[in-house]
Amino acid sequence: MTPRPSRGGPSLGRLKIRITKSLHVVKLAVRGYSNGRVESVGAVTVGTVALCVWPMFMVCALFDSARGGSVWLELSVVGTTSAVIGLFILRYARVPKYLSTARLFRALASGTLASLGIVMVGLLATGATGSITLALVEAASTITGTNASTIDISKIEPGVMLLRALGQWIAGAALIVILVRVLPHLGVGGLDADGGVATRSARRLSPKSSGTVFRLLLLYVMLTALIGVGYAAAGMPLVDSAMHALTTISTGGFSTQLGSIGAYQSGPIEWVAVGGMFIAGISLPLIFLAIRRKDPKRFWRSYEFRFYSLVVLAAASFVAIFARQPLTLDIVRSSLFKVTSAASTTGYIDSASDLTSAGGQSLVIIVMLIGGMSASMTGGFKVMRLLAISSYIGRELKRVIHPTAVLPIRVGHSSIGQTAFSRIVGEIFLSLLVLIPGALILTNGGLDLEGAFSFALSCLSNFGPAFGGAAQINHLSELSGIGQIFSAGLMVVGRISITPVLVVLAFITEPLARTLRRKSFGRRKMAVR
Amino acid sequence: MKKIKGTPLRVSGSALVAISLGMFASSGVALADGGGGASGLLVSALLTLSIGTIMFGASSVSDRADTPVALASVAWSWLAVSIAGALPFLMTGSIPWAHFDDALFESISGFTCTGSTIFSDIEAVPRGVLFFRSMIQWFGGMGLIVLAVAVLPALKIGGLELIANEAPGPTADRLTPKVTDTARRLWLLYGGITLAMIAALMVVGLSPYDAATHAFTTVATGGFSPYNASIAHFDSLLVEFIIIAGMIFCGANFSLHWYAFKNGPKAYHRVSELRWYLGLIVGSTFILIWLNFGNLSLGRNIRESFFYTVSLGTSTGFGTSDFTIWAPAAQVVLLTLMIVGGMTGSTAGGMKILRLQILVRYSFREIVRARHPKAVVPIRMGAVSIDEQIAAKAVGFILLYMGLIVLGGLTLAGLGVEPVTAFSGAVSAIGNAGPGLGEAGPVSDFLVFPRLGRVIIMFLMMFGRLEVFPMMLMFVAFARAVSRSRHTIRQ
Repeated sequence: MTPRPSRGGPSLGRLKIRITKSLHVVKLAVRGYSNGRVESVGAVTVGTVALCVWPMFMVCALFDSARGGSVWLELSVVGTTSAVIGLFILRYARVPKYLSTARLFRALASGTLASLGIVMVGLLATGATGSITLALVEAASTITGTNASTIDISKIEPGVMLLRALGQWIAGAALIVILVRVLPHLGVGGLDADGGVATRSARRLSPKSSGTVFRLLLLYVMLTALIGVGYAAAGMPLVDSAMHALTTISTGGFSTQLGSIGAYQSGPIEWVAVGGMFIAGISLPLIFLAIRRKDPKRFWRSYEFRFYSLVVLAAASFVAIFARQPLTLDIVRSSLFKVTSAASTTGYIDSASDLTSAGGQSLVIIVMLIGGMSASMTGGFKVMRLLAISSYIGRELKRVIHPTAVLPIRVGHSSIGQTAFSRIVGEIFLSLLVLIPGALILTNGGLDLEGAFSFALSCLSNFGPAFGGAAQINHLSELSGIGQIFSAGLMVVGRISITPVLVVLAFITEPLARTLRRKSFGRRKMAVR
Repeated sequence: MKKIKGTPLRVSGSALVAISLGMFASSGVALADGGGGASGLLVSALLTLSIGTIMFGASSVSDRADTPVALASVAWSWLAVSIAGALPFLMTGSIPWAHFDDALFESISGFTCTGSTIFSDIEAVPRGVLFFRSMIQWFGGMGLIVLAVAVLPALKIGGLELIANEAPGPTADRLTPKVTDTARRLWLLYGGITLAMIAALMVVGLSPYDAATHAFTTVATGGFSPYNASIAHFDSLLVEFIIIAGMIFCGANFSLHWYAFKNGPKAYHRVSELRWYLGLIVGSTFILIWLNFGNLSLGRNIRESFFYTVSLGTSTGFGTSDFTIWAPAAQVVLLTLMIVGGMTGSTAGGMKILRLQILVRYSFREIVRARHPKAVVPIRMGAVSIDEQIAAKAVGFILLYMGLIVLGGLTLAGLGVEPVTAFSGAVSAIGNAGPGLGEAGPVSDFLVFPRLGRVIIMFLMMFGRLEVFPMMLMFVAFARAVSRSRHTIRQ
């Protein structure tokens, strides 16, 4: 498919030109300004993040004062301070001339840590959370789009409420930028982890990647508006529907109500949420192309989309069956809600009773692990990778009979290279290596086995709710400090994937491994395998 | 008389004849003991012997001797002996005929060296039958060891070709002479270890019956015990110690033992997998001691932590206490041990240390490659770097293994089993360990699973024992035959 020239209406074209131009000006200004001596891409990223959160904090402060809250001063102080610090860092750091892969990884990791820190400071300054570790968990669930919260939502200020929702939304927008601008260069089992299968389609939207970013962001905004209108039309208060729209499309899942979406006790609202979450699990480039070319069949042509819908529908019907109740529209809605909430890793909770059947619980965990489509805002493992893995298993089975056959790993009509595949596998098992100690530490923090595993998996897929001992509303605040730090870590690992984290750590581990290898070589010489 | 050409049939027949010998022996034990069940055992022995002889006599080795035929022989003979092994339970009335699936469960659990049981009161079963129950594990281990050392590696299943050249005996190109020769040597070793175990257990004061039943199931890393309390029945440190030593020995590669037997203990230095295996046991023991600290008295803690690490790490499944009341963190460690299992080429189950080794190298290589995208990084094991194809197979195996755990656990949970029990049950079944967590702990039985769930567990046990691929291929071959016949009908 060759990229078509932009054909949008005149107003859209002009808007696009204006925005890209102004973005370019900002970029040039930052470049010119940050002509410092220290060559560090990490510092530049931290500075940029610190600078960019300023408008977010200011909007929250404005909202807070308009709604009669009392933390607008704190919010604006934190925002301004971080902006000043950002400017300061940018003054003394500059982007290196040569951007190696390792440096990009460092940028990704430091950007995440910076946003984590700033949100944490914001939450602590406004007094929304008591302890530092709790603030860390809150900040992590904000920037990773996980619905694991300890805050009593009915008591917090409107500014903090918006900070949480907006934080999730902006983190989603940042993810789009990373998806299109950074990941194709890394080509690692990172967020795309299918070795560019997802990002290839993302890049194809426009000849320039900045154009793609613009288009996807525009779509993101439009979808947010659409869902917001949907919520409002279904009878949700205006402010609430805006906030819920922000957290639906970003698959974050923070709500303004204690009982999440279920607090409204309204069927239509839940249906809108189901639709919104399902859309949030679809690959954004796919939606864009389908809208742009006015070709709804494009969805059906996507192998991944077919499988995604199949997973959602099949899982929802099984959840309904496992509930062992007569089939009513309420049951259908509630099962669909639970499954879409898990598949898109949003983490909303509906008004129907909790999942009590063992089968339903396990199914929701599995669906959450699978997650949505690649190049969407969802966490989890992504449908594309699952398809690649099942195709690989099928190939290995064939190879037992035909040992010398050369068979590609197919996903739909395209095939995935061996390198890309080993990235996926590496990604799975490295996350498993984090998951098991994570579950271990969570159990030591007082959770039972089911609770610990489901919560660790839930954090790792950026879902939020969990089962067993972790089903209680305040389980997170009862965890030990280490348990809280670890769950925050799992969320971050789930979002930016384990590879960048380990690559950053490889500074220490690589020389260490080399030394160890040298030392033990004499001993191993006699070993056959 | 024209003989049917079918290797699977012939192999199954000979296996059945071998099993019938075990039944005769158990019948003798029942007679000597006087606890009943002798006639039932004798009837099933005669039945099995006659069927086995007919199958063996009426068939001949087929012309083709390729991978699918070998795999089908293995899978079908395992199935045949499992069905025959269910007979004594039914014939002696230990399990009513209405619950024939439970008898099959017990038999499969025995032949796959799993050790999960459906008897809630084991001691009520006649001792002759219990002797047979331990014996089927011993037979299972016997078949398994040849399978693990010679057959599956030679067929290059799931990356096992790494140990293919290590099988004792001449390395002929054709599988058959090699297998016969290897089997002879391995069985010699296996029998020798069993005798040594029996002797050691008798020295510390066990009756010949107790010593034999426990030696059988220890050597096979099976885990059946004729007592409800399992090893805790003896409450003896010495017995536990001997059984721990036996489990560690039999969870390690048997061809390695053969080389050590021939060339002295230096042979153990050859393989890095052994270091990982022992390291895992020692490390997990320390972690367990640490996690149980304060919950148990120190002596009890060390004793139980060590015992359970070995028992579940080698997928045996003997019990000395109820670990389901331990701290959840300790149970996570046990679950991990169950998934990993013992060494390749042993009677232990699980996904095997060798594959874990490959997997760790494979995954960490990706980090190196992320930093240095153009680097060519080999996967090292010890001093050699292994072939990319082998690593790919091992990874494929692990993915399939995990997939089956998830699928099995999900199905069990769908049948209404509590999730921890369901998933740990699936892990335990496919890893051939025996006890699970939750409600299916070591002092419980597998009746906590619904009837259909037990059928699924039977399948999982078979899958796990035959290294997944042969069973999968059995179904694939079947599906292909069906589709081919449909195709011909349509034409």
